[in-house]
Amino acid sequence: MNIVKTLEDSKLTLKLEGRLDTSTAPELDAVLNESLDGITELVFDMEALAYISSAGLRVLLAAQKKMKKQGKMELCNVVPDVMEVFEITGFSDVLTII
Amino acid sequence: MENITAKIKDGMLYLMANGRIDSANSAQTEALITKLVDENKGLGIIIDADELQYISSAGLRVVLRLRKSHPELKIINAAAEVYEIFEMTGFTEMIPVEKAYRKLSVEGCEAIGQGANGMVYRLDPDTIIKVYLNPDSLPDIHRERELARRAFVLGVPTAIPYDVVKVGTGYGSVFELLNATSLAKLIKANPEKLDEAVAMYVELLQTIHGTTVNPEDMPDMKAIVLNWADFLKDYLPADKWQKLHDLIDAVPVEHRMLHGDYHTKNVMLQGGEALLIDMDTLAQGNPVFEFASVFNACKGFYLPYTGDMNAECFMGYTVQTSFDIWDKTIRLYFGTDDEARLAEIEDKAKLVGFTRLMRRLIRRQGLETAEGRAQIEYYKNEIETLVEKIDSLIF
Repeated sequence: MNIVKTLEDSKLTLKLEGRLDTSTAPELDAVLNESLDGITELVFDMEALAYISSAGLRVLLAAQKKMKKQGKMELCNVVPDVMEVFEITGFSDVLTII
Repeated sequence: MENITAKIKDGMLYLMANGRIDSANSAQTEALITKLVDENKGLGIIIDADELQYISSAGLRVVLRLRKSHPELKIINAAAEVYEIFEMTGFTEMIPVEKAYRKLSVEGCEAIGQGANGMVYRLDPDTIIKVYLNPDSLPDIHRERELARRAFVLGVPTAIPYDVVKVGTGYGSVFELLNATSLAKLIKANPEKLDEAVAMYVELLQTIHGTTVNPEDMPDMKAIVLNWADFLKDYLPADKWQKLHDLIDAVPVEHRMLHGDYHTKNVMLQGGEALLIDMDTLAQGNPVFEFASVFNACKGFYLPYTGDMNAECFMGYTVQTSFDIWDKTIRLYFGTDDEARLAEIEDKAKLVGFTRLMRRLIRRQGLETAEGRAQIEYYKNEIETLVEKIDSLIF
């Protein structure tokens, strides 16, 4: 997986490319752990994310918990296959997907 | 061939639609439906769209007119393409339309496990399917899937439950494939890593118990345990039974998540992370009820144990290891090495655990054999002693 970071003031955009699964979720977790200080708006650009596993969903959930305390988190450009996973798991009700 | 046939089941008239309903045959279809409905006056109507391939606007108008005389009308088994037509035209907001289960074949799929209720196959690199042997298991499949989904959204690490599908005449549940080994296997292969394994076991258990659930989302474990105790009313002296009942009844209702069958085969390790599987027993309540089942799985089930401590237990490792897991688990979970406190915790877990085991054995005709009677007598004596010793089930 490839993670492209864009920072504008306190808004951080992470563009995720490829598969967010057991082997790549720790990478995203590490990026989030070192990048969220002072961030009030976190955006995941999901346009190029083809697959997400439970490990990936848990990283998003942990990020959401953290961002709730310091600002907001949004997901955009979710592809249909990934959207289906959000819907099936009920994550579409707990994440902000635009 | 007629594109509608009638079937009567459970007092409902099923109109089995097949092929196409369009402007070419809608008038004829409507006449046929009217005839079938007249012949079965008074019955509720369900349109079964299992074999329906296409419906045009003319066909939809036939359905709308039928709904006027039968407002309770519903449509079931709509395949994805047909469902899309109903959805696009706004029909799904007027008439209940149930989607058909996706049909899957497990032919050629690798069988990767067998459980009490069915077989598990690898569908593709990312998913497995649990195929249930009993075709009547559909409500249970939905129940387990729904529980797993709720736990997952609350942050409990588990596999993604995908959809429920039709496999031949039965049903299956599609889950994410975990590239994982059970904790039981890990302990068996690496006995020297027992402390590390117990640490993961306890951490996951604390995550589960630290999760608050909506009261209506999961069954109340206290009510279930009260049921077990009620069953024993005829088998225990009245005063002892009353004490048992009162002890359980005094446990406050809590909305903490409990797994209900937390043993080392239900904890999977993937990339150093512990994941929970088999979510059909998820419940809510005070952790004493969880520890009752943990105690049973590790120790209670084998008592009174007189055999070789190095014999293999149900989890694959030795009985001694299994007993050690119980001991290490409560030390770590409760953060104490105080022997009196540990004995007290074990007594409480054992009382609830044995209440379950005694009921279970009686229900499994244990009273019909000498061996069973002796075991039931053992549980009974232990329960009678424990209710006298214990003032509260709270840890």
